[in-house]
Amino acid sequence: MPLKGAAGWALSAPATLAVIGFLLVPIGIVIAGTFMDPRGIFAPYISYFNSGFRTTVLFRTLQIAALTTIISLVFGFMTAYVVSRAPARLRSLLIIAAVFPLLTGVVVRAFAWLIILGRNGILNNTLIALGLTNEPLEMLYTQGAVIVGMVYLFVPLMVLSLVGVLENIPRDVLQASSSLGASPVATFWQVLLPLAVPGLIVGAVLVFTGSFTAYATPQLLGGERQTVLATLLHQRAMVSFDWVGASTIAAIMTVITISVVLVMTNLARRINPMAT
Amino acid sequence: MTDRPHPILIIVAALVYVFLMVPLVIVVGAALSDTTYLTFPPQGLSLRWFTNIFEISAFRRTIVTSLQIAFLGTFLALVIGIPAAYALNRYRVELPRWLGTLFVLPILVPEIVFGFALLKSLTVGAGVPIFVALLIGHTLLVLPYVVRVISASLASFDFSIEEAAISLGSAPLKTFFTIVLPNVRAGMIAAFILAFITSLNDVSVSLFLTGPGISTLPIQILAHVEQFFDPTVASVSVLLMFLTVAVMAVVERTLGLTFLAK
Amino acid sequence: MTQPLDINAVSAHYGTTKVLEDLSLSVQAGELVSLLGASGCGKTTTLRLIAGFLTPSSGSIRLGGRDLTQLPPHRRDIGLVFQNYALFPHLSVLDNVSFGLKQRGVPPAERRKRAMGMLERVGLAPLADRAPGALSGGQKQRVALARALVIEPPLLMFDEPLSNLDAKLRVDMRVEIRELQRANGTTSVYVTHDQEEAFSISDRVAIMNAGRLMQFDRPETLYRQPANTFVARFVGFENIVPFKVVARDAEVVTAETSGMRIRLSQTAYGPIPDTFLLASRPDGLQVTTDLSAKGLPATLGLRTYLGRAYQYQCETAAGHLVANGSLTAPLESGTQVRLVPAPEQSCILATEGGR
Repeated sequence: MPLKGAAGWALSAPATLAVIGFLLVPIGIVIAGTFMDPRGIFAPYISYFNSGFRTTVLFRTLQIAALTTIISLVFGFMTAYVVSRAPARLRSLLIIAAVFPLLTGVVVRAFAWLIILGRNGILNNTLIALGLTNEPLEMLYTQGAVIVGMVYLFVPLMVLSLVGVLENIPRDVLQASSSLGASPVATFWQVLLPLAVPGLIVGAVLVFTGSFTAYATPQLLGGERQTVLATLLHQRAMVSFDWVGASTIAAIMTVITISVVLVMTNLARRINPMAT
Repeated sequence: MTDRPHPILIIVAALVYVFLMVPLVIVVGAALSDTTYLTFPPQGLSLRWFTNIFEISAFRRTIVTSLQIAFLGTFLALVIGIPAAYALNRYRVELPRWLGTLFVLPILVPEIVFGFALLKSLTVGAGVPIFVALLIGHTLLVLPYVVRVISASLASFDFSIEEAAISLGSAPLKTFFTIVLPNVRAGMIAAFILAFITSLNDVSVSLFLTGPGISTLPIQILAHVEQFFDPTVASVSVLLMFLTVAVMAVVERTLGLTFLAK
Repeated sequence: MTQPLDINAVSAHYGTTKVLEDLSLSVQAGELVSLLGASGCGKTTTLRLIAGFLTPSSGSIRLGGRDLTQLPPHRRDIGLVFQNYALFPHLSVLDNVSFGLKQRGVPPAERRKRAMGMLERVGLAPLADRAPGALSGGQKQRVALARALVIEPPLLMFDEPLSNLDAKLRVDMRVEIRELQRANGTTSVYVTHDQEEAFSISDRVAIMNAGRLMQFDRPETLYRQPANTFVARFVGFENIVPFKVVARDAEVVTAETSGMRIRLSQTAYGPIPDTFLLASRPDGLQVTTDLSAKGLPATLGLRTYLGRAYQYQCETAAGHLVANGSLTAPLESGTQVRLVPAPEQSCILATEGGR
């Protein structure tokens, strides 16, 4: 029925056109622009990767994102497991407690760590008061500070998405495992974990892309010493007015993000035993 | 159930929750301090930093701008997002799969790249006023949330009800407003709240779309923190947290909070 | 290998609601016992208690010489067949079946041999390397059965194993389950809400209602001599009428209800107490237009066609009754008839408290 399809197209047209016109086209223009450099088609990329500083920034960003993902995954999974096993009342309380930070803005959450990790921050004051150190430690503007801030940003997201994943695993499959003689530990490794892997991948992608492109947290907790792609992009565009350089960074970020999403979600779908 | 998690796991989970809660408590404490510098535990209790927010004109202006943008952007996203979500569900067979993916793109592409692209093509390229560009950016930013949440509530909607209404003589457009919309009211509330909060908290898209006299609250907070290290920002943070609590209370009463955990 | 199961005075609660009250049940070694009842009757709760997924608030469960009550599920050594099969979606059919052997530390080569042997017995050896998702419902059920049997458990339990299969397959599968159970001689507990299934497959059936055991007997006994009105209604004695004996003449008893009298023979019905309930299936009330017959006077109402008989809704002084009449002479609504109880489709119940 062509008429019905037409109605569907008509109803979704405003949103479709908005996404194409204000998102796809502008980003397309940015990326296309990097290939129209008078110096040569790949010139902006050659100059990007020729700069030791900029390649360092790229690898630092990847490293921070990878570490954030691994840490969030490990702690998020353990926490989600406990939450999904909790009695109903406690369970919804724990979910609320994870939703709350998620709804609190990224600036507020990064700012909290500024108070904690600063030179005269709570952690330094406590350490000095306990006599563990004589002078304040430089914790701010280190890679560790950025990672702590990022983990803080993404652990709630990981917990919530993994609670969903764990609750989608049919309970009777776990009961079947224990009725066949598998101890709780064996059930965890041989049944629960393999069934959770697709969900773990999806959660990891969420955290990786989020921390790979985050701006406020590295800006506040990392400063110039821990420049990442997002802060470099902003700096190139708004401070140096280096539009080609900024566009190149934007293109690199977009390509890496989209590739990670496509490859990993495909992988998750392929190895998902519950899909068949 | 007899299989309780291992004690070590329970301890880890408890520590994770402490890790999640403590920083927020510290912000509240710092906001109540009477000192001119940020400190915790608070020294002397005072609300002066809350009144200070409104004495700084940049905060006054950006709060207004942020609320305007969040309201308008969410409204526009609902206006274009609800028909799109309806179409995706109602005409699932007729419409191609990539259309659904298209509406997820704004959260798939890096936000900061999106903001930069809007700056380059709209503000600089086409001379669009900053406020309008900001509004467009935020509308698109929250569109995925609207489409996803409305789709989720339409997924359980039985479209034969709509056909029943039409067979009883109701016009299709009227049927949409009298039959379909009331049934996804919970979804609309959830979509509105999620979109509003997302817009209000956004940094990355707004970052490039600020200019003379126009900025959003999170951007202003960032700028303020980098210059002054006084408890004003802590107080603003507490205000935002209050807003979050209020929103969560509304969600809890209308939908139940586990709704957001999906 | 096979062992008797003893459930002794077990009660269970969900929160504050009592879901099982003082249940005692003994299953002999090698016997197949069904727990039968509507949803919420406590049959699944009982199964979960035996399996160890629930802990009783009082009472004990013993299997052979072992007290299971405080044992965690994975140390109970019970084969369990689930309603939704509960196959491991990430493991092949063969790995599903050998899962329990792996937990018992059986070496891989022997594991494979025994699992393949069991798959052969359920006719699924050719599908050993498939993923469970690629199987039909009946095949999944066979894998679930093989998985539970291969560990050679002293007790096998089935939780509505056939309810997701279509009618024809259901009958085939239950024969197959019974044959396997007989061949292995494994003590079995079978939970179902399907009366025909329970009666056809079981040595004995426990009929449950509202967390209590109503009657525990051989299917033939349950069908012919229910112990109370609940079981009587459950097995199809739709008409239950209270009577009072007014005269006894050797073996023949004259009894009265609402001014109507009938005569019953104690040789056919067994000893009849002074007050009793007469329970009859629709087939157990013969409809006759001979108004001199010794039966209950009734006026016929709606007639429906059952294929093997006509069914009549009947109004009597003792209330509404349902009777089946012959196909040869359909009767019209409003006809005055006598309903004569037939002993082979009727029985005598003791009067119960309250009514």
